[in-house]
Amino acid sequence: MRNGEKIMEILSQKGLSGKMQGSEGMTEREIKKQPKERTKFLRDIYYDTLSTANTEFPYWYTRRWNELDGEIPVIRRAEALKCAFSHLTPTIYPREKLVMQKTNYYRGSFPMPWLSEGFFVAKEDELYQDALNRGSASADELSKFGSGGGNVTQSFGKVVSIAGKFGMRQEEIPVLTKLSREWVGRSVEDLGHKYEQMVPDYPIKENIMKTLICMFDSGYTLPQGREVINYYYPLQYGFDKIIEMAEECKRAVAGNAGGDGLIGMDRLYFYEAVKIVVEGLQNWILNYAKEAQRLAGITEDEQQKREYEEIAECLHWIAHHQPRTFREALQMIYTLHIAVLNEDAISGLSPGRVGQVLYPWFEQDMEAGRITEDEVLELLELYRVKMTCIDCFASTGVVGGVLSGNTFNNLSLGGLTWEGNSAANPLEMLILEAGMTCESTQPTLSILYDEKLPEEFLLKGIECNKTGVGYPAWMNNQIGIQFLLDQYGGEGMDVREARAVAIGGCLETSPCCWKELTLNGRKYQIPGGAGQPTSVGVHFIANPKILELVLTNGKDYRTNIQVYPPHNKKLETYEELWETFQGYYILTCDCLTKTNNIQHDIWRKNNMSIVNSFLKPDCLDKGQHIGNMGYRYNATYNIESCGTINMVNSLAAIKKLVYEEKKYTLEELTEALLNNFGFKNAEETGSYSMKDQIKLENVTKYDDIYNDCVKAPKYGNADPYVDEILKIYEDWFCEMTRTFESLYGKKMYPCQISVSTHGAQGRATLASADGRLAGTTYADGSMSAYPGTDKNGPYALFHSATVWDHAKSQNSQMNMKIHPSAVSGKEGSKKLLDLTRAYMRKGGFHIQYNIVDSKVLKDAQQKPENYRDLMVRVAGFTQYWCEIGRPIQDEVIARTEYEGV
Amino acid sequence: MEKMNGKHDDCRNFAPVDAAKGICRKTNTMIFTDTDVCDAMEMMPKCKNCSNFQGVDKDNIGTCVGLKKHGWTYGELIAVTCEGYRQV
Repeated sequence: MRNGEKIMEILSQKGLSGKMQGSEGMTEREIKKQPKERTKFLRDIYYDTLSTANTEFPYWYTRRWNELDGEIPVIRRAEALKCAFSHLTPTIYPREKLVMQKTNYYRGSFPMPWLSEGFFVAKEDELYQDALNRGSASADELSKFGSGGGNVTQSFGKVVSIAGKFGMRQEEIPVLTKLSREWVGRSVEDLGHKYEQMVPDYPIKENIMKTLICMFDSGYTLPQGREVINYYYPLQYGFDKIIEMAEECKRAVAGNAGGDGLIGMDRLYFYEAVKIVVEGLQNWILNYAKEAQRLAGITEDEQQKREYEEIAECLHWIAHHQPRTFREALQMIYTLHIAVLNEDAISGLSPGRVGQVLYPWFEQDMEAGRITEDEVLELLELYRVKMTCIDCFASTGVVGGVLSGNTFNNLSLGGLTWEGNSAANPLEMLILEAGMTCESTQPTLSILYDEKLPEEFLLKGIECNKTGVGYPAWMNNQIGIQFLLDQYGGEGMDVREARAVAIGGCLETSPCCWKELTLNGRKYQIPGGAGQPTSVGVHFIANPKILELVLTNGKDYRTNIQVYPPHNKKLETYEELWETFQGYYILTCDCLTKTNNIQHDIWRKNNMSIVNSFLKPDCLDKGQHIGNMGYRYNATYNIESCGTINMVNSLAAIKKLVYEEKKYTLEELTEALLNNFGFKNAEETGSYSMKDQIKLENVTKYDDIYNDCVKAPKYGNADPYVDEILKIYEDWFCEMTRTFESLYGKKMYPCQISVSTHGAQGRATLASADGRLAGTTYADGSMSAYPGTDKNGPYALFHSATVWDHAKSQNSQMNMKIHPSAVSGKEGSKKLLDLTRAYMRKGGFHIQYNIVDSKVLKDAQQKPENYRDLMVRVAGFTQYWCEIGRPIQDEVIARTEYEGV
Repeated sequence: MEKMNGKHDDCRNFAPVDAAKGICRKTNTMIFTDTDVCDAMEMMPKCKNCSNFQGVDKDNIGTCVGLKKHGWTYGELIAVTCEGYRQV
């Protein structure tokens, strides 16, 4: 092995790598469509818009909160939310039809210091240093944003970069600091920290966070999300009626425990809180209506004037009543969506099966000739632009390292009706069409694949895939239903209810329900969310990192921290190694579950959801918010893993080379890993992809062991040797997670997606026994092969992926990159559908495709200014290329590219 | 307020897009926030333009005496939705 060479050249000479990329021309995508002119105008504004944070909402929230010292927490929170919503400045942009946004900026968001405040002060400030010591800022250090698009990664002029992504006006920085300081000692983060230290293993938890074995605390970073919203009550009754109902309920429960001595009396306060926040939402909507009227009054252009008047009329109506038209219903659900997102720091608030929720208005408007399909298409495009403008404000580690700036508002399509028939409808065909004509990241689309779905609908989904936008993803409806029945059967879910399933966030199977909607006397069953968030629990455990610490007796050599108590075992057998791994893993889950339970308990006591609560069944019926288990389904807390395939491949290499062939001792292997097999660290090379790693000068000591590790059996090739290791791991992991209990007294469950954590956690991990080098990104997802290691074609990969029962987990994740030429034409479409079907029929839960030429991605990395609109599928979401951090860009480029399916 | 001391987000005809720019409703063009304002500027209600904003410090933070309970506020806070706003 020659020194100073890039790894791809070295491996290629040894016949070990995938083929090298040629220099021939780039292949364009086969399908490309254009949006309506109005949509294009508004989307172009988005392309040129910076993520912007301001302090308006937190200012009014904090002011009102401070005024109500001593008030019952749920009322205090409702009043603070009402005050903040009522004072948001409305901005309506020219040519908009669908209006309102989170703040007065086009792509605005704001910090919530009542959740977490330490991060927002200057880095040299003692509060930030304190956060660093807790480990809660560790993820920030290893997370990267893309430097293009709307990310404000550096300050300029009078714009200050916050959290490496958001721009804030310089004048507001002292305000942000002042607001943050007012929450010191009483934020969810601070109170949670105070009490989590009472968990005996807290010091281990702190070390786990510092070394990035776990990516983030969920209790104060993203306490809600990756769930499905429910728009039913306002769509059925309108806001005025909900206030009337709340008043009625108050009269019925006041002073009445209702047989529940613990929380029965809380019903009165909850109904009062609902009334308060609904009034706040009405004020917010009506402020926009007033602004629309003002603009109509000063606008000279007749058409624009008329459009402002239409907006005002629409908003005036939906502020009080059930929507009458498709446009009003769409405005209503969009408004509700951002209302919930303004209530809490949330990513992955999925709109659910919107095409089925809005179908009553679509059907009746079409029948009455009130709207055309073309007009619906334009509205759906505008909806995509508005949803794409949604940003989530959180720390760098969460927004960059986990979310890649995405917010995962996943819209589900297809599936079954409550009676078990295909639920696909003509409005869903238009939603798919809008996803093609208006390529944008939000809402991302998922098809709930079921054998009963019509071919025409499925092929429409495939056509959308072929635009290269990375959506729709394909989820196995039947596997999802099986998972739900197992997890929520104890809370009363039956198969009919399970058919309401939708995806929350990237690909989190979420409990939903049916509600009967009446529109002009006609009745419809519409699906919607009915469960707690799934962004909660233990989030994300770096599997390869735990295996690394087994080999190093519990010590992290990157930070020199003794994370776990030394096991002091000789690890003389593979079984002993595996048991030690299990022991460290269980210890990790145990202390993280307990500390996160405490954080979430603080959250539900002081920062409970009211907006999301009143929307979701059965809070209004029970008179209880989310924190009192008002939702129908509460067993949603999960344990998430990352890096499964690198861990499995590493176990296979260790088993074969150390324990079976005895070619190397474990000590020799560990030494090679600690020395990165004689390569430079990824930080030095400036790339996080294996393909760019460089050999150190004059270091040849580890060449043989490295070659053997690379050649060891790899997942994704239908090789029973390594597939069996995966199966044993999955069977254990899926059961082990269920031994832990959430704060709601429910069993937890496994969640196996990586989002973007495979980048940051890869950076924190030394070389692994599968030949992956230090600091490089893990394989994405949980079922994707490590780049370049799946050599037997997609069907072999499918075989490996389905050796275990996917219904035992909330999800699994398979991402594939396919060259556009492999699926060209009608034949290609059918092949891609056959491929998808094959995976679903084998019991795979999720598959999605990047249909893009890798040369395009490489060119985009060199010349991002030419690719502002290029989108790729990352793990479970689609994101603009230029807004993704370098580690994830490298990983997407490196994925195996299939040239035939 | 001195017109030329203002910035575009002090103008009611400015629709802010992000922290650096916005759309001028008079010209229908995208303009940078921190550039000179024109004669058509119409004062945006902000705390700094309100008679109930008092005791301003170096960070432009002062006291609001216009609502039921007094509290601190900042000059750049937009007040179009504030019931206590009284233009200077």
